[in-house]
Amino acid sequence: MTWELFAVFLGSSIRLATPLLLAGIGEMVSERAGVLNMSIEGMMLTAAFAAAVGSWATGDPMLGLLIGIIAVQPIALLQAVLSNTLRANQIVSGIGINILVLGATTLAYREIFGARSRAEIPGLAKIKPPLLGDIPVIGSAVFEQVWLLYAGIALIVATALVLRYTSIGIAIQAAGAEPKAVDKSGLSVTRIRYGCVLFAGFMASLSGAFLSIGDIHTFTEGMTRGAGYLAIASVIFGKWRIGGTVFASLLFGAATALQFQLPALGIAVPNALLIMLPYLLALLAVGGLVGRQLAPATLGEPYRR
Amino acid sequence: MTTTDQQPSSAAKLTSKFGFAARPALLVPVLAVAFAALVGLALIAAIGVSVPNALAAFIDGTLGSPYAIAASINRSTVFALVGFGFVLANRANLTNVGGEGQIAVGGIAATAVALYGHVDGLPLGLAFILPMLAAIIAGALWGALAAVLKVKSGTNEVISTLLLSFIGVWLLYWCVQSPALLRKPMTSSATLPESLEIPDETKLPLLTGDYSFPLHIGLPLTIILAIVVAVLLSKTVLGLRLRAVGLNPVASNRAGISYTRTVIFALAMAGALGGLAGALMLQGEQYTLKDGFSSGYGFDGLVAGLLSRGSVTGVIAASLLFGFMRSGGINMEMVAAVPTALVVVIQGLIVITLAGATLFIERWERK
Repeated sequence: MTWELFAVFLGSSIRLATPLLLAGIGEMVSERAGVLNMSIEGMMLTAAFAAAVGSWATGDPMLGLLIGIIAVQPIALLQAVLSNTLRANQIVSGIGINILVLGATTLAYREIFGARSRAEIPGLAKIKPPLLGDIPVIGSAVFEQVWLLYAGIALIVATALVLRYTSIGIAIQAAGAEPKAVDKSGLSVTRIRYGCVLFAGFMASLSGAFLSIGDIHTFTEGMTRGAGYLAIASVIFGKWRIGGTVFASLLFGAATALQFQLPALGIAVPNALLIMLPYLLALLAVGGLVGRQLAPATLGEPYRR
Repeated sequence: MTTTDQQPSSAAKLTSKFGFAARPALLVPVLAVAFAALVGLALIAAIGVSVPNALAAFIDGTLGSPYAIAASINRSTVFALVGFGFVLANRANLTNVGGEGQIAVGGIAATAVALYGHVDGLPLGLAFILPMLAAIIAGALWGALAAVLKVKSGTNEVISTLLLSFIGVWLLYWCVQSPALLRKPMTSSATLPESLEIPDETKLPLLTGDYSFPLHIGLPLTIILAIVVAVLLSKTVLGLRLRAVGLNPVASNRAGISYTRTVIFALAMAGALGGLAGALMLQGEQYTLKDGFSSGYGFDGLVAGLLSRGSVTGVIAASLLFGFMRSGGINMEMVAAVPTALVVVIQGLIVITLAGATLFIERWERK
């Protein structure tokens, strides 16, 4: 493999890892607070759709992104109400939301675009950061990415700092590990968990918008194709830590990138095997490749005072 | 759920007022379905299709002809099998969302045996029974895989069965894409990526022998399995073990009920039923294996299982509802230009409403 090809592989790994990264970090925060959102997949699909429609209708991808972000919040709120206030089974309610969103976006897509499928949709701009982007050979292939990725990295760093050094971060972690103690200290477990689910929704909306208006500049029915579940798998693989989740997302991204790279290198591997690879890796990951998993103590359990 | 508020019994109030026991476990799903159906009607109106026309198309697609009825029932049996599996595993507090993948591996195994197992000359119906058995075994192994991961490394079975679903679906895609596997011999570049049609002897016999009413032996088989599962859950030691492990794995282990064996049994059985569902789809309906084979039926079966709240009769009712809804939805799309995605919206609403109502049902039933 030449350096050029390797740089392309690296660049596309990062690009394909971005949606998992953004959604994964949001989901990790929510899981640290004790709420499992199976609905990440549905939130991403909502954003992918709303951002695409918004960008197509207004001609401005920034407005599209904004519309995508706003459209996900009601879904995140629904998940928060179901898993906190109504104390519904978080897995069942999440899957229900995913089914609803799949149907609703498909329906709305047919209504809006009808036969004019694959409409040209203005997408988010790419930027090449100074210095890194100027590295010869690999600079532009690796670092010329949609700006949302760089914004996402900044958000992830901020999230890490908040989780590690602030009282909010400690309260979030305690809400998942020791909700009773949080309650006794006078903070509201429910409020913290609501906030975290909405944050997960926000991150998932960036992720979904990245898929449609960042990456391929179009919307296709059910286009998330399980990426939300991969994001959840990367949280488990990453042992509920920022660094681990980032690493897992990059690994799944690289596995997806192989689909396009191996054929380019003339290596004949069945296409289906390559498409399957991220899911296989995720299965191995959640199946104990990472060792015994230490999930937040009350993950998935609604809190009752 | 550990404790619940002790409030005056609203169920008792209802009973006295109306003179019958309003059972929330029954009432709430009916209300959820009614609510979702109303939203569906509103959506039909919203997309500018005449509601009476859409309804006429829906009814025509479900009950309009003997063919429509038989096709709907055949589809319902597939949902029901997956739903039984869900209920069975759920008794041990396991959530099997892997129906889609179990259908896929069942379909692969049934196709492989039907086409290349030299079964078509066998007597006594073995020609169609052996592919079904292969599907059952493949599905059981697929389900057991998730169980082993759960027992060995504590992997949540929801995420593992879901990932196994994706893997199963892509495995099927691989099988029909590769001439070395199940793809039919490529005579030209236009050869479709699908398997050969399975031999006539391996197709499921029709109950009437009349293709205008293509009800096949999947129906009696499903009825028998419904009885078996219902008896197993409520009248046997095995059912009791599942329930004990579901309620308290640690205590059951102390009482000598092996957690490992129970979990593996439960998920393998669920997988076996999913695999059999795949065989019914292949041998009773599609006859060739192709991409998209599982058609989302695994998720319909899952929803049927969720709706049933643990009862076999509930699964049957929900499966019939969805089987007919699918047929009606397809006809609505063809005749009245209402996308079938509408049916998916309705299903999603049903699941969300029921999930959200659990708290109330449990409070109510405690009285």
